[in-house]
Formats: sequence, structure tokens, C-alpha cells
Amino acid sequence: MTDTTTRPSGSDTDIKGPGYRVWFDAPARTVHFEGVLRLSTSEYKPIEDLLDRVLLESPALGLRMTELQFLNSSGINMLYKFAIAARKKGETEIKVHGSSNIPWQGKSLPNLKKFLPTIVIALD
Amino acid sequence: MDGIIGEYKEPTDAGPRVMLTFYPGAFPVKWNQCSVAADFFAEYFVDVGEGGLTEEAERRDFVGSVGYVLNELIENAVKFCAGGTVVIDAGVEAGEFVVVVSNQVCGDAVDGLRVKFAELLDGDPAELLMQRVEENAANPELTTSGLGFLTMLSDYKARLGWRFDPAPGNPDNALLKTAARLQVKSS
Repeated sequence: MTDTTTRPSGSDTDIKGPGYRVWFDAPARTVHFEGVLRLSTSEYKPIEDLLDRVLLESPALGLRMTELQFLNSSGINMLYKFAIAARKKGETEIKVHGSSNIPWQGKSLPNLKKFLPTIVIALD
Repeated sequence: MDGIIGEYKEPTDAGPRVMLTFYPGAFPVKWNQCSVAADFFAEYFVDVGEGGLTEEAERRDFVGSVGYVLNELIENAVKFCAGGTVVIDAGVEAGEFVVVVSNQVCGDAVDGLRVKFAELLDGDPAELLMQRVEENAANPELTTSGLGFLTMLSDYKARLGWRFDPAPGNPDNALLKTAARLQVKSS
């Protein structure tokens, strides 16, 4: 489905769309997820590419989710696939910062450990 | 083509109830409008169902859970709609949020869907979810994640059911009704 209203803008390390932003803070080695992410599977490609790229650069990475209110199943698929990619790469140090006040995070983030046992998940 | 799979239950007038019908023929539903519709139901029922929820944590959990499940159901209905309307029928009764989302699918797809739905309910959803994600990672060209129902079952403890009926006015299609139920207070 082509829908111009959800087409992202910005650079390849700062992806913005209606109601969401995903950006990489290079000095802090942290990807920030903000807003509401309910895209179709193919629309997650720019974010997947960003995650793949930063994982290639360095094994240490933070994912900050404390400002991400909603994520649909296609987005959860993207996160879990990233965890598998990190597991296959080996020797990664990935930490996820989330919020226990955001329901989807308490329900779905813990599954990341099944795909990447070394991942650290911190829920504020 | 009639038949029920899983725990199919429709809302009744015993509690508050809302129906919303999209007519996507000339004006297709945009992807982000699925989210808007899901959030409307979540915000509406958090305040009317059985006096509404008062604890902040309970309200957050209800809005998050209903918003997630309904958004997935509406995204599916819009994505796979083969003509006709998309109808959302939701209510709260006996401590449960009950919703049925209906859309038409091609008659040829019914047998495959029956098998898929039965498999979802037969296995351990957490195990099936793990398997599916591993398959998705191994096949990056897939355009659907297949995680919607699995996350509803595994992470939200939703009770799901499906029903197939003849599609009104179109003998080539079937009317698919997908039912989901969630506890209003999850703990």
C-alpha cells in the first residue's frame, strides 16, 4: 500500500514521519524511538536499515524506547529481527531502555531476551 | 463456507456498544486511520464500560491493550479487504472488552485461512511467535510479519475466534468476522 501521508523524511540517521521520529545519537551510541509507530511492514525498511548500519559500526548500542507510546506488530517484528541479527553477529552489548508505564513495552520487550539472551532490558 | 473457529463471541446490547463502518470502495482507508479508529474505541470504552476505570495504571493498561489489539485487527481488515465494508463492532460486558471486526475476503482464500487460524490456536503462542520471527529473519523479502494474532495471544492473553459467512451481494467472496476478547482489568 502506498500512502504518502506516512512517508518518512529526514536523513538516514534521523527518520521522521507523521507522529514519530527515530534518530541515532552517534556520540551516545543510542537510537531514540519516539511517538507512535504503526507502519506497514515495508514502511519499516528505513528504520531497519538504520539499525543494521549502526550495529555494523560497533557492537555497543542503546535503544531508547521511553518516548515510544505505541508499536504495532510489524514494528515488533522489526525489533525482534534486529535482536536475531545481533545474536548472529555475536559479542554485542545492547541495552534497551523502556518504560513500565507504556503497556506494550512491559508485554512485548521481555521477549527480546529469547532472541538475544545477552540483551539488557531496563524498564523505568 | 460457514463455520466457527476458536472462541467466537459477538458484543451484545447488555453493556455499552459502538459500531463503526468504513466504506472503502471509492475512498480507501489510509493506514494511519486504522490507528485513529483503534484509539477512539480504546479511549471511549475506558470511560463508559461498567462505570469506567479509575486507577491510572488500569486505564493505561486498558487503553494500551485495546488500542494494540484493535489496531492489529483493523490493519488486517483494511489490508485484506476484498471489497464491501469494514465493520468494527465493540462493547464491554461482564468484565470483558469484546470486539468483532468484519471484512470480505476472496472465497478462494477461505480454506487456507481456516488452516492458518486453527494452527494459531493449536500451538503454544509464545513458541509459535518465536518460530515465526526466526522465519521472518531468514526471509527478509516477506511483506507481512504474521505476528499480529500471535502477539495478541501471547502478550495480551486475548481470546480469539473467527467465523465465515456468505458475503452479501458477492458470491465470489466470503465475509470474515474476527472476534477478540480482553479482560478489562488484566490482573
